[in-house]
Amino acid sequence: MARLVVDDLTVEFPSSGYTVRPLDHFSFRAGDGELVVLLGPSGCGKTTLLSCLAGLLTPTSGSIDFDGTEVTGLGGAALSEYRRRTVGVVFQAFNLIPSLTARANVMVPLRLAHVPRAEAGARADALLDQVGLDERGHHRPGQMSGGQQQRVAIARALVQDPPLVLADEPTAHLDYIQVEGILRLLRGIAAPGRMVVVATHDDRITELADTVVELAPHLPDDQRQPRLSTLVAGAVLFRQGDPSDLVYVVESGEVELYRTRGDGSEERLAVAAPGNYFGELGPMLNLPRSANARALGDAVVTGYGTRLFRALHPSDRSAGA
Amino acid sequence: MVVVTLADLRYRYRQFLIAVLGAGLVMAMALLLAGLVGGFTAETNQTVGGVSADRWVLSTGSSGRIAAVGLFPQSEAAVIGRLPGVVRADPLVLLPGEVAVVGGKTITVNIMGVRTGGLGDPVVTSGRPLTAAGQVVVDPRSGAGIGTTLAVGGRRFRVVGQVDDRTLIAGGPMVYMGLADSQAVALEGRQLVTAVVTRGAPAHTPPGYLVLTAAAVEQRNLAALSSAVSSINNTKILMWVVAAVIIAALLYVSALQRVGDFAVLKALGSSSLALLGSLALESVLVSLAAAAFGAAICHFMVGLFAQPLAIPSSAFVTLPLVAVAVGLLSSLVALRRATGADPAAAFG
Repeated sequence: MARLVVDDLTVEFPSSGYTVRPLDHFSFRAGDGELVVLLGPSGCGKTTLLSCLAGLLTPTSGSIDFDGTEVTGLGGAALSEYRRRTVGVVFQAFNLIPSLTARANVMVPLRLAHVPRAEAGARADALLDQVGLDERGHHRPGQMSGGQQQRVAIARALVQDPPLVLADEPTAHLDYIQVEGILRLLRGIAAPGRMVVVATHDDRITELADTVVELAPHLPDDQRQPRLSTLVAGAVLFRQGDPSDLVYVVESGEVELYRTRGDGSEERLAVAAPGNYFGELGPMLNLPRSANARALGDAVVTGYGTRLFRALHPSDRSAGA
Repeated sequence: MVVVTLADLRYRYRQFLIAVLGAGLVMAMALLLAGLVGGFTAETNQTVGGVSADRWVLSTGSSGRIAAVGLFPQSEAAVIGRLPGVVRADPLVLLPGEVAVVGGKTITVNIMGVRTGGLGDPVVTSGRPLTAAGQVVVDPRSGAGIGTTLAVGGRRFRVVGQVDDRTLIAGGPMVYMGLADSQAVALEGRQLVTAVVTRGAPAHTPPGYLVLTAAAVEQRNLAALSSAVSSINNTKILMWVVAAVIIAALLYVSALQRVGDFAVLKALGSSSLALLGSLALESVLVSLAAAAFGAAICHFMVGLFAQPLAIPSSAFVTLPLVAVAVGLLSSLVALRRATGADPAAAFG
């Protein structure tokens, strides 16, 4: 039975006057004891999803259910309790408190939960031993390697024995020797009673995963024939935030590229005339559309897969988006 | 959170040390200013109180200020001495701001001419009391040692004794001499006086005179310094504000440096209130350390001032209390940084 159910999750927020939607009707589910890998490039919403799972960010719509608890419905003390008891977080940049020793860093969540000092210290010692750092407990983060700091961060995430551990790019700042140790550790703690969700752009980790969730699925960039589209005046070809699939070349007529601001108003970016192309970066970088495309009058465009487009259009006549 | 606070203080001890030194010096200045104001009161009390009179009889023209010369005939002392209620009456001459030369050095002194053995004749702390003309007893701040010569008003006097803590008008040392000597120095030998001091209280006030208690005389003389006291007190408040600004600036910078830590602590379950408590504790500890440093500096600097400083003991009680208040106010500056930290920012 799935313990984590993310259903139709949407997160949007204003950024520089525009509405950004890193998660758009996103759903997935995972079972108890699984190592779940959230895979995707930078900016695809991995960290946003982790923040929602951690109860640190309230989604615009949708729901998160973990082990029967509707996380998105929690508030106040219940939410604080969820953060303290249910979730352990391993941050990308370790995020240890620099003034505290490794042992004190691990103790922090327990002390915040008013666990007596001696008990918290014993628990921290046990966890540092578990992550192989029993000798480094009295060192500050600045005196430790990246891998050691990440181990401390993992120990801190486990200190409340949470059933859900979230790790954001846990291997981002580590060399390959340290990566192996950290992955072994994360794989080991994903066991019945505890789910581990790892957000990463490193697809090598997927080999260890029980469940892989692609946040920015690669759309097929096959060698299919170019697709001709006829647009009537005012027809929208794609919208801001849509998955990017094709690069378009204007055959006739004009296509307006514009952004929708947070207040609903529109900002024109460019007008693509016959011979111009637009929308090439999205599919190449696997990013959502950053603008809307709308026919100004009747227009005809041809859509290409990126490989075919690059083969046919080596010159730069981009209109953007 | 206390552990986190103390650890942060240790971790950033250099920058906290700078704040403690800066704010501590400013607090020391505030204490010294309090000492200046206290010194005005203390020297007036000691010099006026040292006369040991129950009442001071002054001309109405003096407005009750002994430093304001309001002359009247010395013979009035005998008249006043016969008033009902008066046990003893002695004439007194107070000459403020006289120029004297001690060991070739020119200084400003306040002369008090007294009747030998009468009210106002000082009880010396070293040497011997006045016994004859041509002798003076001085406050050591005059720089005149026993056996040396002090020249004033074109006359030379031999220093026979010293009496401690006798100054007036912002540290001007007192020079006690015989009544006739003082009249010779500044009154061309005329038998005039500026006050008659009595043991016992006159039953009524003679016309043209004021009869004041020693406390009233002290109060009226301090009133002459009210604008100076007010200016010093205002400066003292400014010193406290500067100390608060120093600590607030440090805390604000510290809070900016710790925004990431605040986000992580929130993500780990800390409340905004706990973070505020941590900042407040940090601020109060820095303020108290600055207060302690300021008090120590003040202790060593008191002796460097020519003017007698009398720092009220209450100032040392008030200092940590004000320091705590300063610390708490300073922490409010960094409040928004702590409470406004977005826990989601911990993800980077």
